[in-house]
Amino acid sequence: MKIAYYPGCLAQESAKELDMATRYVCRTLGIELVEFPNFSCCGSGFIDEANEALNIAINARNLAIAEKAGLDMLTICSTCQGMLNLAKVRMQDPKVRARVDGALKPLGIEYKGTVQVKHLLKVITEDIGLPAVKAKVRRPLHGMKVGAFYGCHLLRPADELQSESGEEPHSFEDLLAAVGATPVDYRGRVMCCGFPILFVKPSTANAIAGRQILDAKAHGADAMATPCPLCHTSLDAYQNKASKAVDSPLDMPVFHLPQVIALAFGATPQEIGLSRHLVRTDGAIAKVSASPTA
Amino acid sequence: MSESTVAVSFDVYRFQPGKDAAPRYQRYTLDLTPHTPVLTGLLRIRDEVDPSLGLRYSCRSAICGSCAMQINSKSRLACETQVGPEMARHGRIVVEPMRNQPVMRDLVVDQTPFWREYSKIEPHLKLDPRRPMPADRPTPMTPVEVERFKETPRCIACAACYSACPAAEADPAFPGPMALAKLYRFAVDPRDTAHQERLLRIQPNGLWLCLRCHLCTEACPKDVRPSERIRDLKEMAIAAQGATELGSKHAYGFKENLKGAGQINEMKLVRATFGLTGMVGQIGQGIRVWRKKPEIMKKPRKIEGMEELDQIYAALDPPPKEGP
Repeated sequence: MKIAYYPGCLAQESAKELDMATRYVCRTLGIELVEFPNFSCCGSGFIDEANEALNIAINARNLAIAEKAGLDMLTICSTCQGMLNLAKVRMQDPKVRARVDGALKPLGIEYKGTVQVKHLLKVITEDIGLPAVKAKVRRPLHGMKVGAFYGCHLLRPADELQSESGEEPHSFEDLLAAVGATPVDYRGRVMCCGFPILFVKPSTANAIAGRQILDAKAHGADAMATPCPLCHTSLDAYQNKASKAVDSPLDMPVFHLPQVIALAFGATPQEIGLSRHLVRTDGAIAKVSASPTA
Repeated sequence: MSESTVAVSFDVYRFQPGKDAAPRYQRYTLDLTPHTPVLTGLLRIRDEVDPSLGLRYSCRSAICGSCAMQINSKSRLACETQVGPEMARHGRIVVEPMRNQPVMRDLVVDQTPFWREYSKIEPHLKLDPRRPMPADRPTPMTPVEVERFKETPRCIACAACYSACPAAEADPAFPGPMALAKLYRFAVDPRDTAHQERLLRIQPNGLWLCLRCHLCTEACPKDVRPSERIRDLKEMAIAAQGATELGSKHAYGFKENLKGAGQINEMKLVRATFGLTGMVGQIGQGIRVWRKKPEIMKKPRKIEGMEELDQIYAALDPPPKEGP
């Protein structure tokens, strides 16, 4: 399949490893990524707080770019997914639509609202399908217990985003099981990572991240995995701070979603940038019991 | 017409502070039809099996808001949550008291923190004494004015949102979703004369601790959508007085940030939020992250079609009012 690749800011900057792993997985599954150098940032939820109409217009412009090319969009970040999708929902309001069109039409940008925005998790589990994923597994992750961590904007508001469920999703766990890992069930999997207030009140943000890591740990997780690079920042890059905030030693490897899949497809740690993580991941990888079965 | 019953297992949180050393979960199994509300199940347990079970309820019709509790970890009204779907998903029904409020007994919590935040936002009309409301007739509102309330007047103060809120859990400085949704309701009321004062007071008092995780909106049985009204309040607060807090500076700074390249410039954003002196406190962590991810110091690639983005800003983001 062919899809417009919307990597988002972080995967092009501090979370390059997410981009590396995405390309590896898509290459393996036969997903052709079409790149658009004119996509802008989605506003990350922050521009929405400062100026809603502007945020919708910025994203309507992104959506129109993919529409013009006749392609659906692939996101690899829960927040990008939420913001682009929410812009589509808000554009159904005739008043919003008129205001945003008033800014876009003079630029020759026509937004129709026909494009589908899909996170990689959905493309893999629904469009590609788990049997096709299983067929590509060369090193099943038997023995590795992984706590999925969804990221709020992938799920909620569930009615507006038409997500699988606001609080009880299962597609990520299904995918982890398909590549041989053991999914861990814990309450924190659908909770917030604290990122939105990481620069507002770091102590509270770090404590929120710490709680979710502790919860995953208490339920036996060897590692966590997230479809959102903002969650990854909070859970991995700031894990030392989270550890202090919850006054408890933490040493939880946190994977990006496509990294886990790529590992099962036989990728080396170098190919998916695991050395770029702040918390080492080799302990979790060592849990994988079977040797490669190429 | 009869509907067949299924065996429903309730694992109910039991705890009496001061008497029990620790909470425990008690298993009760009842034969119930799938559409039976969880509350009906709990009342049958209390009436037929164990009269010592403590719980709050009244109307049984999702009007009074008394029976909010955690059902399989979701904050919900027990009277409108049916046993069938919960059993199908979880194979049992774990019933626990609401979160973020101390347990008094079993499923009954002390709602003092919730009501304290509610009273702090002064949930009553502040009128202009020189223009009293007419005593002999209602004060009419236009349809446009009524529309601005959105769904906030529907709130039944059940506290399900407060129970679901991770910000309220982690930080007592956060007023909680219900209090903020209520504040919104008064901040758009055409009869109220304290809009500006209300926004000035809330901006430094917890507004920006909302995580926009939308768990409150999932929990709300009346579709008040607190997280979306909190978003509205944030934009209203910036419009009224400029960005005065770290939270609003970050949101405002993010908006300005895209003007350069159309993609986020991480270093510039940190500077916009904390200021040059405030950045000093970020240096240690910054170096730690930079050693693994040197891109945080890099300027982002400028997108193609940047002039389109500039024009969208010009059309929809006029220059702000001067700060206070």
